[in-house]
Amino acid sequence: MPTSAPRSRTHEPLLEVSGLSAGYGKIGVLNGIDFTVGPGEVVALLGPNGAGKSTLLKAISGLLPRTGRVTFAGQDMSKADPGDTVRAGLVHVVEGHRVFTQLSVIDNVMLAGYGLPREKRTAQVEEALAFFPDIAAKRHDRAVTLSGGQQQMLAVAQGLVRRPRLLMLDEPSAGLSPVLVDRVLAAVARLREGGTAVLLVEQLIEKALAASDRVYALARGSIVLEASTGEGDLPNRLERAYFGQDAHAPLA
Amino acid sequence: MFASIVSYGLAVGAVYALIGITYNVMFSASRVFSFTAGMLGMLGGVLGALFINKMGMNAVLAFVLVMAAGAVLGVITEILTVRPVLKSIEQHLYVLSTLAFALMVQQVTAIEWGTEAQPFPVLIPIDPNSALGLVDQKFWLPVLACIVTIVGLELLYRKTLIGRAFLAIAEDSYAARALGLPETRLRLASYAIAGVIGALAGFTGAQMLLAYFGNQAILNFYGFVPVALGGMGSNRGAVIGGIALGLFQQAANFLVGGIFASVAVFAVFIVVLLLRPEGLAGAATARRV
Amino acid sequence: MTDAASPMSTAKAPGGLLGRLEGSWSWIALGLIGLLLPLLDDSYFGVIAQRAYIYWILSAGLNLVVGYAGQIAIGWVAMLTLGAYTTAALAAGRVGGVEWHPYLALIAGGAMGAVFGVIVGLPALRLRTFYFAMTTLGFATIVTQVALAWKDVTGGGVGTPGPVFPWPFEPGWGFYYFCFILAALATWITANIGSSRYGRALVAIRDAEVAAEASGIAKPKLLILIFLLAGGLGGIAGGLFSSLQSYITPDAFTFEMSVLFFIGILIGGRGSILGPALGTIILTVLPEFAAPLVQWSTFLYAALLLVIVLVIPGGIADLLDYKNRRPLTQHREIVPRPELLSRILGAKGEPSAIRLANIALYFGGVRAIDGLDLEIRSGEVHGLIGPNGSGKTTTLNVISGYYRPNTGTMKLNGTDLPFDKPHTRANYRIARTFQTPRLVGAASVLENVMIGGTAHGHGTFAESMLSLPRHHRDEKQLKDAAMQVLATVGLESLAAVRADRLQHSELRFMEIARALMLRPAFLLLDEPAAGLSAEEIRRLGALIKAISREGTGVLLVEHHADLIFDICDRVTVLNLGKTLAAGTPAEIRSHREVVSAYLGA
Repeated sequence: MPTSAPRSRTHEPLLEVSGLSAGYGKIGVLNGIDFTVGPGEVVALLGPNGAGKSTLLKAISGLLPRTGRVTFAGQDMSKADPGDTVRAGLVHVVEGHRVFTQLSVIDNVMLAGYGLPREKRTAQVEEALAFFPDIAAKRHDRAVTLSGGQQQMLAVAQGLVRRPRLLMLDEPSAGLSPVLVDRVLAAVARLREGGTAVLLVEQLIEKALAASDRVYALARGSIVLEASTGEGDLPNRLERAYFGQDAHAPLA
Repeated sequence: MFASIVSYGLAVGAVYALIGITYNVMFSASRVFSFTAGMLGMLGGVLGALFINKMGMNAVLAFVLVMAAGAVLGVITEILTVRPVLKSIEQHLYVLSTLAFALMVQQVTAIEWGTEAQPFPVLIPIDPNSALGLVDQKFWLPVLACIVTIVGLELLYRKTLIGRAFLAIAEDSYAARALGLPETRLRLASYAIAGVIGALAGFTGAQMLLAYFGNQAILNFYGFVPVALGGMGSNRGAVIGGIALGLFQQAANFLVGGIFASVAVFAVFIVVLLLRPEGLAGAATARRV
Repeated sequence: MTDAASPMSTAKAPGGLLGRLEGSWSWIALGLIGLLLPLLDDSYFGVIAQRAYIYWILSAGLNLVVGYAGQIAIGWVAMLTLGAYTTAALAAGRVGGVEWHPYLALIAGGAMGAVFGVIVGLPALRLRTFYFAMTTLGFATIVTQVALAWKDVTGGGVGTPGPVFPWPFEPGWGFYYFCFILAALATWITANIGSSRYGRALVAIRDAEVAAEASGIAKPKLLILIFLLAGGLGGIAGGLFSSLQSYITPDAFTFEMSVLFFIGILIGGRGSILGPALGTIILTVLPEFAAPLVQWSTFLYAALLLVIVLVIPGGIADLLDYKNRRPLTQHREIVPRPELLSRILGAKGEPSAIRLANIALYFGGVRAIDGLDLEIRSGEVHGLIGPNGSGKTTTLNVISGYYRPNTGTMKLNGTDLPFDKPHTRANYRIARTFQTPRLVGAASVLENVMIGGTAHGHGTFAESMLSLPRHHRDEKQLKDAAMQVLATVGLESLAAVRADRLQHSELRFMEIARALMLRPAFLLLDEPAAGLSAEEIRRLGALIKAISREGTGVLLVEHHADLIFDICDRVTVLNLGKTLAAGTPAEIRSHREVVSAYLGA
């Protein structure tokens, strides 16, 4: 799908995070995180539960207060709230396919375009729905009638309405059958082809690696690994990163 | 007298229903109940009488001004008493802050307007001998207001994007915020709308209830009963509850007299709540641990 | 709990009657003023003072309901009305034709207040805050309307005369001393409750209800006692009021009065006795000295309430709390001393076990737990791990009694553990901590930990109320035990500090300390390592291991794989509500399916 900006020829990072710390009240979760996402890249963010992956996404999109720097497309987003980041082209699809069950599919997607001029909104809503024909076919049904997997696709469709330059997906595979997981990851591949960058938080390592260009591993609030997906021995290195030093049996 | 019970009952029930809707709209936007619903109703009557009787304005202009005042008061409620405490860990401060504000307004009214109930003018000049004059307007005005409000809200929620944004926030404010919806502005708008509805209830009901500072306490309670019975956030429940309450109250008034009617209403209120704390149409409570 | 009833202050203040009232100097000053006021021989001051005493008698009780228990009972003027009319009607012989002696009538007024206090209070157990506030308002209105309508008894709108008390409490200075004595008594009683385990339990219910339940505090029983006491005090205040006014009519009992009582308590600060007393006195006395303000007094009270809520929710008590504004040391370390555990946990009992068999729990269509068997044995640390949504915390919540499973059994050594009754777990010496620390922010660390031992007290409510010896023994024992436990987890230097000033990691250890107060046979820990530094996790691990070596069976729900593998004797891995694997840490670590589930495949 067309994005709001062409894929950059330079290798300026699209999203740059440095020294990011965030938490919930007194509970500190993230400790001085540095990472980048380049334009048109798919970056996987992996890590065990409780590592802070969701917290990191929320800190970037402004759902949580944080300290440190977040720069997106050259703009300083350190004080941005979710409305600001969405308008800048950085969209966050939260975990748990939280769609508005009492509203229809089309209403759900229209709401994602709230604030856009009406014609643009209608056009971009159709574009987003075109990614998921199954959902488009149910446009007037209430979201509560959709299955979990369909709701997840609806949530991703919501994320696409703004033609984001970077789409952050938080565990889109959670609770989905393998077939649907592949569907979602196919959409990620299409986005990549179209020049949209994707930051993908995932539990399913193999599938995530297959869909990404680069990977970061987050554990205990810090980045513990950064690699290109082409590099070797990744599964081992990841396991070590997850479980700390003592990796006994190799996976392969 | 059956006709009297029905007409009074429907009319006052419609006022209660509208106050219940006021509570609900504020609740849907912020998950918080506010003591200012009754205040808005009271001011609808008092300000209307002030503008028309004391200041000589015509009814239409007064109506517009009173609605505007309602919107402004709704906004003040949100900014002053709700928003500051939403962030706090101390969960129940909003009860106190909205109570304090509502009391302040009530006291000013009692002092400046007086503690006597004052008459409210007839709004629409209708010849009592004509067909339209068959039923006194003090009965059908509130009912009409109620119908208009319900239809208006339905249109808002179903046909406009902002209305659907309200529904989204009411269902899941976290997801709404993540989607980039301007949560604060939308909440402000909801409170303004609630203010208008409350003022409308008071303005149209004042020919019956008169312009009286004591209406605040009455409407606070009797406007809440439909919410409690019908389920938090459910406007349909508020309307049914309100009308039922109005009819029940008038019937009881007639059959056993004022005091026992109040006791009866209170008893029903308590019993229903104890049996079903979430109201007759409400949903179960969320997990605590 | 900041001042007047804080047990910490008993360590420093003089012992005996005044000992438990910090700010004793303030009370002494108030007492002296009260005793000596008649010397001025100004009946105007006398009347104001009597009114202040009467309002305070009611507010002292209401303070326990609103300030300590956190129940927003706005319409409490109803108790005043009930007490006033009961006393007046009985003394005037309007009921049954017999004129009651004023003292008996007064007691009857108190009894009426007590009964209706419970009736009005009962809905608090089921209703949300706003709903409960509304019901108290509705009740107050009803009472006034009944007073208007029931002409035979109340005189209707015309009213009825109040009783005249005989010597030595005759109208004038005699009655003045009567009110003074009763006000002092009300202060003493409520201060005793406030500084007892009942007072702490109330505050626990208000601020950390689930933690209160886990500590064995039964909300219904306690709240009913409080409503009984508060209603009784309100009724007595009403009886006195009817005498002071010498003639009462329904419009003497206004909504504004209810507001005044309520605001006095909140201005004074919750969890304090002195604060609300000062608040009530100020609000009663102020309009007398600012005549033009009388008309605006309610407006000003409401404005003051708004300011307090928005700016200083803690009220006067918070402002006066200098102790808790002293800065704390910056880089504090938590150094637990596991060697002290044997003193706290006592001798090892017979080995026992909690056994879950075939537990299943569905939320709607989702199977949170899908056929789970689990055994927690004494002296073992049993780890429970699994990806998000696997059912770990849900399992812990079932064991600790917050959720009722759809199928399955749960037994402790063969006896069934009741489902859905979290406050019974303390009896079985099953203690727990929570995923997010639950604490009473305004209370000290010591008081928070003492809450954990509430269930082990022996003194009754009445004994606490009257400050009888057994109550003191309880308090001493509780306090000593709490200090020991704090020393064990390494927090004793912070015992007197307000809990909400602590760092997150310190709060986690404080929760463990509170749990240890039960001398638990079983300890359930819900992600205790979350938010802790690596060094703190090591110390936590050592502490947990030591606890298990004393014979306690520990269930450790965790994400931190290293902690699990370090200290657990056995590990169960959950996935999607089912057991994926169970065994020793070494077995689990190399179990292919476990690693896959964690890493995803």
